[in-house]
Amino acid sequence: MATMLEERIGGIGPADLVRDHEVHRSVYSDPAVFRLEMRRIFGRAWIYLAHDSEVPNAGDYVVRHIGTQAVIVTRDKDGAVKVIFNRCTHRGATLCAFERGQAPGGHMCPYHGWLFAADGTLKSISHKQNYEEVLDPADWAVTRVPRVEAYRGFIFGCLDREAAPLLDFLGHMSTTIDDLVDRSPTGEVLCSPYVLKHYYRGNWKMTFENLNDTIHPGFAHAASVVSAKHVAEEVGGPEHLKPTLGMMMANGKPISFFQQLDMVTAPGGHSYIGGHMGADYTPDTQNAYHAALVARHGPEKAAKVLGLDRHLMLLYPSSTWHARYQTVRIVRPVKPDLTEVIGYTFSFPGAPEETRINAIEYCTGANSAASPVISDDLELYERMIHGNAWGDQEWIPMSRGVREDRETTNEWTRQPSTSEGYIRNQFRAWAAYMGRS
Amino acid sequence: MATAELLRPEPSAADARARREEVRAFIEDEARLLDDRDFTPWLALFDEDCRYWVPVHPEQRSPADGVSHFHDDKQILMARTHRLLNPRAFGAEPSPRTAHVVSGVRIERDVVGADGEGELVVTSSQIMLEYRNRDGFENDLRMFGGRVTHTLRDRGGRFTIAEKRVDLINAEAPFNAMLAPL
Repeated sequence: MATMLEERIGGIGPADLVRDHEVHRSVYSDPAVFRLEMRRIFGRAWIYLAHDSEVPNAGDYVVRHIGTQAVIVTRDKDGAVKVIFNRCTHRGATLCAFERGQAPGGHMCPYHGWLFAADGTLKSISHKQNYEEVLDPADWAVTRVPRVEAYRGFIFGCLDREAAPLLDFLGHMSTTIDDLVDRSPTGEVLCSPYVLKHYYRGNWKMTFENLNDTIHPGFAHAASVVSAKHVAEEVGGPEHLKPTLGMMMANGKPISFFQQLDMVTAPGGHSYIGGHMGADYTPDTQNAYHAALVARHGPEKAAKVLGLDRHLMLLYPSSTWHARYQTVRIVRPVKPDLTEVIGYTFSFPGAPEETRINAIEYCTGANSAASPVISDDLELYERMIHGNAWGDQEWIPMSRGVREDRETTNEWTRQPSTSEGYIRNQFRAWAAYMGRS
Repeated sequence: MATAELLRPEPSAADARARREEVRAFIEDEARLLDDRDFTPWLALFDEDCRYWVPVHPEQRSPADGVSHFHDDKQILMARTHRLLNPRAFGAEPSPRTAHVVSGVRIERDVVGADGEGELVVTSSQIMLEYRNRDGFENDLRMFGGRVTHTLRDRGGRFTIAEKRVDLINAEAPFNAMLAPL
């Protein structure tokens, strides 16, 4: 069955689905667009895979995804991280069935016992004599992800041999990863094995378009604000509310507040908005944490680290970062209308316990499918898929705040957080990736 | 319970049956209140310092170990149930209808402290069917299930819930919006 893109292909490329302030609705649902995205975007961008602390010892592995393809991230005997496809070269069965584990002897396919090293080399074949002079094991290694680089312990993979280095891809956004790591009093960062996953029957881009949207909370999450206010009355005032309810309440901040916050967009489709969470530690923790950071960084840098208050950095097209709450999310496209979002929390050895508990509470509130806030978003993603499936309106506007840019440098553009500039910026990157054959 | 615990004297078979019947009725009634969306008396079953917990992994020992699907105190439970009745809660529009099936209620522990206050740990197998009328197809009906562990306080013939822990059999799975408490 011809899809919208294939019908259009007479001279019109995928990049023509994007105009300056409008995007064609097929980018959210067309299977042909999705297949091309997997090759041209997820096959070219640097994709966040895992943190060093998830594979501390030789043989440790986790299974992650680059687009729709599963990869095994393993630490080899020499301490290097290797990333190979989770797929036996014999009959194509997946090698690892679990999300994490240890395979110090390599990965053995459960079907016929072909054994692969961490770097994908085929170490042994069962019933070898049947292959003599027929098949050379050297030709049947599992494909390695050709580019693997880490930035401050965060491991990224890239399928494009010609891609610019990770640091170029991160650009200005590396400062958010610095922000996360610098908040550790020892410089050490540990990823928790407990993760939260939610999914929705909607497109992967919807998460990226929602997370930096500061207009929707007052509407989409209005009921959470009402319920938080109700509880505040029941318990004798908002000062008695627990942090999770404070988060629900924060969705009710007036638009004038968000208008004065900055949003920063950068080449590659990345963005973040200015923080508004503040530092809500108890005074004792605040003092102890500050002292621990001063011991590491000196007073000047410690004040700078604690003072930086950024909300949700979006690293297009596959991860979102919240340094202040020690959280990273991976956005995993499964189908045009099926997306999984996986939330990871990090802890800092040497930091007060309260900072870890705060991160857990934030991540639970921000990533659980049972979160009152997330469940509103999931509902709306699915409504957009339904509403865009029919009707005669093909183009979707993304023009909010187009005239409101505040400042532009070589590295970034600053605009009010109420602008849809970050969506336009994502689609500029989208069109650049997709337009290149 | 801070003080020394005393096991209740070995009850007669008839007393044990009666105790089990009393506990089973409480667990079933709690689930029924959820299905009836009768949240005010449901909340009243929970102690002020209660915990409602749905872990993301069967081996999670404490909510402080890491993230959870639900890790609610009484405030969050209040907000959650208040929101379910709010017509502007889009995530809950339309609100879910549920049917709990409760089976295999078993008293794992039944002790009384020196202060005379009893504490029980009760496990049950539960399935919750959930329906939201959205597009009319099979995705509208979902099933959740697993082992539920209630820690109850026995306040002289009246039980209250100190903790309700729900271990879903698919705790590690990704979930779509979960609105109704399990």
